[in-house]
Amino acid sequence: MALDTIVVGAGVAGLECARRLQRAGRRVVVLERSTQVGGRCATRRFEGQPVDMGPMFFHGHDPAFLGALAEVAGVTVLEGWPLRVAGDGPPCSPDALEPLSRRFAFAEGVNEFPRHLAGGLTVRLQTTVTRVRAVDGEFEVTAGDGTTFRGRDLVLALALEEARAMLAMLPGSPELASVQALLAMFFSVPSLTVVAGYPAGVHEPAWDLLYPDPSEALQLIAHDSAKRRDPRFLTLVCQARPRWSRARLDQPMVDWSPELIEAAGAVLGPWALKPLWTFPHRWRHARVDRSCELARPVRVTLAQGQGLGLAGDVFAPGGGLQAAWLSGARLAGSMMEEDL
Amino acid sequence: MSDALDALVERDREHECPGFGPDKVCVRIVAVAKLPSRFGDFRVVAFWNNRDQKDHLAIVHGDVVGAEGVAVRMHSECLTGDVLGSLRCDCRDQLETALSRIGALERGVVLYLRQEGRGIGLANKIRAYALQDRGLDTVEANLALGFRDDERDYAVAAHMLQSLGLGPIQLMTNNPDKISQLQKYGVKVASRLPHLLPPNPHNRFYLETKARRSGHYIDFSGTPHLQEQSDPVLVEGMIDK
Repeated sequence: MALDTIVVGAGVAGLECARRLQRAGRRVVVLERSTQVGGRCATRRFEGQPVDMGPMFFHGHDPAFLGALAEVAGVTVLEGWPLRVAGDGPPCSPDALEPLSRRFAFAEGVNEFPRHLAGGLTVRLQTTVTRVRAVDGEFEVTAGDGTTFRGRDLVLALALEEARAMLAMLPGSPELASVQALLAMFFSVPSLTVVAGYPAGVHEPAWDLLYPDPSEALQLIAHDSAKRRDPRFLTLVCQARPRWSRARLDQPMVDWSPELIEAAGAVLGPWALKPLWTFPHRWRHARVDRSCELARPVRVTLAQGQGLGLAGDVFAPGGGLQAAWLSGARLAGSMMEEDL
Repeated sequence: MSDALDALVERDREHECPGFGPDKVCVRIVAVAKLPSRFGDFRVVAFWNNRDQKDHLAIVHGDVVGAEGVAVRMHSECLTGDVLGSLRCDCRDQLETALSRIGALERGVVLYLRQEGRGIGLANKIRAYALQDRGLDTVEANLALGFRDDERDYAVAAHMLQSLGLGPIQLMTNNPDKISQLQKYGVKVASRLPHLLPPNPHNRFYLETKARRSGHYIDFSGTPHLQEQSDPVLVEGMIDK
């Protein structure tokens, strides 16, 4: 496959980067391990009802980012969501609720955004990268099924730790060493997550988003069904704190999932202890830690002229979806500048 | 002399720029007070802005409101240099020189912009130092840490100068690009004053070593120096390249 750029990771950063490069005439492929695009910007369906699994809403202030979101067609924008924020605990992203950032959700789920970004791109789903080599001035990327892709530029748009693991496959060089030393200073935090479904009407929480006041386990409880039209279920998404999650990360889901529901019950009352169904999900790299923020994407040229770029939520100020998107956009921009 | 600045506080009460919003910069002068200092007689002006949740300052000497040809120096906050006296950078020399020069003039302004590490933040600056300590190619590492684009800083700084009601200014800088940046935001710059530091034992190495790469010096203790102000360091006696 003759390519200019191979993008690994079809999250918001990788998709935006790929989209800009393709628009500029580059031949781009996006390789994605999962069965769908979006990475952590994920929405799952339960009997047709969407439930956001990672970020619960969009927030930002960057005009270009907000502009990109405004281009998503066919969605119902819930302006200002979450309108009802309860609890005194800290939000995941310190600036999420600040007055100058805009907030909104999609009734169809946050995943509509990456799906929109992926339109027109060649995205190879269920494609796990098993090997990366630098050969003859190009990168050679091998997938689990043995397919190889070659291109002069490689973009790693992955969780920080996954990008580090991939860089470790490349032969050592001073350029790579400085990038690795840099990335070693930053880290992601995990979040164990459980969706709990209740019969609609069993209870009507008076909040959209609850940040439980000092709870050892819970970071937030989202009233996800408040975003949906005629929801069949009352759905709550419980996301656990980093330290609590870290301690249970390698335990079976059946162990920590009930524990998280119990924590929710302690906050919400006994009704919350008896969901109709639950669905646990392990976000191993939920987001970068708050102390970790770079000003821009990393871009280095290896000895034989291959261009390596890194994008993702750590590579722009503020973290979260806005940072991920901005880093992808800026990385594409700096790559195209070099073409001129 | 106090009235003109005090009037600006009154003027800016409830001030909102037309088109005020997420993508437009708006600043307000919120407080003015005397600041006698070892560098001369100053007044300090505190600003609010809608962009970065930082309280930027103007350190003002003489009557500047409505004046033409006011000498202006833009200084980016550097806690390690300005306050702690770090020798990893030249920020303290740069700030002290600017304050003494301006204090000796009839009028002038130092903008003290709270963009630690040129906007990358204090923690990331210390991370960059840590990378340097490990002997990495720090130019690469710093590029990666990514000094934030200066652009928005100029937008806020330009707006601060406009709020002070300055006529065409004289900018104290060694970086002519700063002039065009400020002009882009509507500040009239009449001329440039080079910002030369007097030689001292701590910056003497600038006179004796050649930069290996742009803005990259190793001092006598073997510690790499980085340019933390968006200006190249010029020490009197150095050949201006």
